[in-house]
Amino acid sequence: MHAEKLKHDFEPKIVAFVCTWCTYAGADLAGTSRMQYPPNVRVLKFPCTGRIDPVFILRAFQKGADGILVSGCHPGDCHYMAGNFHARRRFATFRKLLEFIGVDLERLQFSWVSAAEGGKWVEVVTELTERVRSMGPMAEFKELELEECWSGKLDTAELQEAYAAI
Amino acid sequence: MNSAKQQDTAPLVDNSYFSAVTTAIRSEAGRLLAAGEVTAVIGYKSGRRKGSAQPVIISDASRVDELIFSPASVNNLALYLTKAKKEVTKSGRIAIVAKGCDLKALAGLMGESQLKRENLFIIGIACAGVHGSGVAPSEPLSAASIARKCRECTVHLPEGVDLVAGSIPTMPQLDALESADLARLEAMTPAERWAFWKEQFSRCIRCMACRQVCPFCYCEQCLCDRNRPQGVETTPRPAGNMGWHIVRAMHLAGRCAGCAECERSCPMDIPLNLLNRKMAKELKELYGQEAGMQPQEKGPLAQYKEDDDQSFIK
Amino acid sequence: MSRIGVFVCHCGENISRTVDVERVAEAARKISGVAYACDYKYMCSDPGQNLLKNAVSEQKLDGIVVAACSPRMHEKTFRKAAQSAGLNPYLCEMANIREHCSWVHEDKEEATAKATEIVTMLVERVKMNKKLQPITVPVTKRALVIGGGIAGIQAALDIADCGHHVVLVEREPSIGGHMAQLSETFPTLDCSQCIMTPKMVDVANHPNITLHTYSEVENVDGYIGNFQITIKKKARSVDMDKCTGCGICMAKCPQKKIPNAFDKNLGMRPAIYVPFPQAVPNTPVIDRENCTWFKTGKCGVCAKVCGPGAVDYSQEDQLIVEDVGAIVVATGFELYSIAEKPKGSMIKGYGEFGHGKIPDVIDGMTFERLASASGPTGGKILRPSDGKEPQSVVFLQCIGSRAREKGISYCSKICCMYTAKHTMLYHHKVHDGQAYVFFMDARTPGKGYDEFWRRSIEDENAVYIRGAVSRLYEKGDKIVVMGSDISLGIQVEIEADMVVLATAVQPRTGAELLAQKLGISYDKYNFYSEAHAKLRPVECATAGVYLAGACQGPKDIPDTVSQASAAAAKVMTLFAKDELEREPIVAKVDDKRCVACFYCKKVCPYGAVEEKEIRDRQGNLVKVVAYVNPGVCGGCGTCQATCPSKSVELDGYTDEQIMAQIEAL
Repeated sequence: MHAEKLKHDFEPKIVAFVCTWCTYAGADLAGTSRMQYPPNVRVLKFPCTGRIDPVFILRAFQKGADGILVSGCHPGDCHYMAGNFHARRRFATFRKLLEFIGVDLERLQFSWVSAAEGGKWVEVVTELTERVRSMGPMAEFKELELEECWSGKLDTAELQEAYAAI
Repeated sequence: MNSAKQQDTAPLVDNSYFSAVTTAIRSEAGRLLAAGEVTAVIGYKSGRRKGSAQPVIISDASRVDELIFSPASVNNLALYLTKAKKEVTKSGRIAIVAKGCDLKALAGLMGESQLKRENLFIIGIACAGVHGSGVAPSEPLSAASIARKCRECTVHLPEGVDLVAGSIPTMPQLDALESADLARLEAMTPAERWAFWKEQFSRCIRCMACRQVCPFCYCEQCLCDRNRPQGVETTPRPAGNMGWHIVRAMHLAGRCAGCAECERSCPMDIPLNLLNRKMAKELKELYGQEAGMQPQEKGPLAQYKEDDDQSFIK
Repeated sequence: MSRIGVFVCHCGENISRTVDVERVAEAARKISGVAYACDYKYMCSDPGQNLLKNAVSEQKLDGIVVAACSPRMHEKTFRKAAQSAGLNPYLCEMANIREHCSWVHEDKEEATAKATEIVTMLVERVKMNKKLQPITVPVTKRALVIGGGIAGIQAALDIADCGHHVVLVEREPSIGGHMAQLSETFPTLDCSQCIMTPKMVDVANHPNITLHTYSEVENVDGYIGNFQITIKKKARSVDMDKCTGCGICMAKCPQKKIPNAFDKNLGMRPAIYVPFPQAVPNTPVIDRENCTWFKTGKCGVCAKVCGPGAVDYSQEDQLIVEDVGAIVVATGFELYSIAEKPKGSMIKGYGEFGHGKIPDVIDGMTFERLASASGPTGGKILRPSDGKEPQSVVFLQCIGSRAREKGISYCSKICCMYTAKHTMLYHHKVHDGQAYVFFMDARTPGKGYDEFWRRSIEDENAVYIRGAVSRLYEKGDKIVVMGSDISLGIQVEIEADMVVLATAVQPRTGAELLAQKLGISYDKYNFYSEAHAKLRPVECATAGVYLAGACQGPKDIPDTVSQASAAAAKVMTLFAKDELEREPIVAKVDDKRCVACFYCKKVCPYGAVEEKEIRDRQGNLVKVVAYVNPGVCGGCGTCQATCPSKSVELDGYTDEQIMAQIEAL
């Protein structure tokens, strides 16, 4: 497949946490089938989505990931029977927390990709890459890493009030 | 978040309510210790400053008159059965004074094999509420001084306890300030929320008071204190603080009893209870489970259903 | 300081066409901790592996990264090579720069940059890898088979013939299961008892099989290779050593009118009975609920007439413990209950079609008993209501099956075939009788199956009507069946003398309770779950437990026997060695950090977490911590992600290893 080769200004860094038995195998299948997709993704292999700790997602954002993909076996197909069921609840919860903190959830994608779904892997990775590309770099955590202390402005009523009350 | 709006300082309840609770606690404690049914009673006693209260562990029946219950009885006494104090129950059956929120913490700890119900005699308080942070302890309990968490309390009357001390007086409806704050934050854009929390967490000095005072932070070594690997920075820079609070909120999700002691203890006035309330709200909506006064065998993140929501998964 | 070796494979041209492998090796050489880096045409070939082995010894490498194809392809290959060079195999990782890089990207610059990053990530990970030793678990070479139907019998015989001891536990007084109730079996119309009885006798006589009938599994402790099974042997009230099987007790028992469940309650039996004449063992049991002696203290005739004095009213239930290394579950099926409100069933009884109300509306197994020569009617097809021979019989297919609204979506697999068989048996016995079959589809995929099915239409005069039945009602002594014929597009009404319903095949009532005792999974219908639907159909995800027969899903006799032998083969694989070697990708708890919240135990899909007591030298209890049984742990790591303090770590995927990869991004 010959994709249009545009030179982009911004190449997003996409980190994918995937399970060995389904999504990693699906990505392998995409490779065997010579399907083409953007080279921005870095895959980390886990035995099961159940092993994926929210701290990894947090750390990846802190280390400069612009978009994160977490992918595993479809419910009911988990090689370890129930790991992905626990992961599902864990990620549903962590997502809500990140959203409340102010992370744009468009940068965090979850998917079920089976070992037979090479095409879906390509679709998910491409979609996330392009979406994150249009959103630009994830400034929030990067800026945070560089700050010694808060550098914001007193730009809400509450902040001004609080400052005045000191 | 505090607004300087003037609140009503009229007392919400009569002093007789607090006396009744105090009398009930003293009488039961005396009975239990004299009969040898418990080896110690964990409750509140008067502190040095006028009107203040502090935790006390009494094992001598002659001291039961030190026990009080007042608007200053803010501490979550469940804390005194965990962490450094977890050997206390080895000395025998322990009686403990518990407000509704504290009872939820006890129930949670039982569900996590940290406490056994049969080792405790729970003196539940029919609780009208306690002071918020920064309130002079001698102040009466009023709309101005009551803790934000108490405004929306649903556990005034404890259940499943061995004795209920006092009875709930009639109280006026109070504005739900925490819910209002939550709604206000939820209505913001992600960028606005990020700016809000960044400002809040940048004040954090990593004193870890929130962790110390939380009954559920009983890990022998906190994940965030490990350096192999270093998942979360320990320095009080915005990046590390953000990481710390996110991880703590996640680890408490589904477990937090909502006692809001973390928020009360925070020297930098960070509205920590908002995070915990948000998580509790989401888990209740998603999985129909919340921390209650009865121990649960499995919390919402320790189990699953085949048809759990996966609308966010492609 | 680490001494990592990096080997970048060209894979012929598969990688090198798109990825500049020399540049990747060059970049790798520059990473701190990398002592050696090279590129080679075919790393997996013999010379490639030798290159690796030589580098390990010459360069004194303490970790290697092979940048090549997917680890799913060659991780074992390179780990083995590393091991033979004296390096712990778990210090070898693969960087996937083929399936995940060279094959999916075209731009050489981008692909090379990505490959370099992937290699860097894996190098940082390998620095955190620990040496892991395979886990060995001793194996007790005895097997437990639960269920004495054809599946259990076959599995038991296969394992016993290999020289290993089998304990076979059967709930009923005799083995045989449902196959013993059948009259003739498709597609050959063999007499069921005739082909089965020799196997039943083999089981009874086999020196390697201990048969416990009228017994149930009470409790299961332990794990693969080391199970302790508590078996409750229910009191037969007959001493098995003394009983000669003469049958005088049964003949003389004054209670003769107890409905015999084996005959679907159409036939009667005494209170002291064997369920059928060919029972194995041929020792009767006393049905204490209906026996006069046990109810009133009077009678006792059987004890009086028993020559060897084998009747023993004082017998009590016994609990025995057997040590086994593997368990085969062969508990079979039951048919969808015909009554309106079946006891204890998770699915509402099929209240339509006069089930349980009209006596001549029966299910398939009842028809079998009518047809069976040793059945309540001596093999004559007779109406249960008045004993007359039915001149027309209507068979209804798919009763309960393929009916999402009734709670069962699946197809019960055997009914098309046995209904065709029933039409043939009916035709053989009632020459002028007419059989009608209302059906949706004909599912006849086996060897000789479709031919068999066609015989019922072409040779045996059965009338097959494609359509469903909406209503049955009694009219005098007939049953009016109202249905539709969708091939002709008309409504049909048939006055039948008897109606046979092909009810759905279900797991046995209480199947989930046994599953919970064994720690195995089951689906929403309570069929037991296999480890993998295609590639591991006879194993459970729980190590050491195997499945055979209809308890795993509806199936006919040929498939049941195949699966039973397959389960036996899996047991033999386990027993082939004295010790079981497992990959050491298992979780371990740090006793010092664990605070015994047991979240790990709550979430572990394998039930591998136990409570461990830590005692001081005087034997006083210091604390309780979690302990992961390395023989049972499946290696998913859910425990670690759930543990708040990460006191439990999954070897091979520790937080350090993963964080090192993330930090290298």
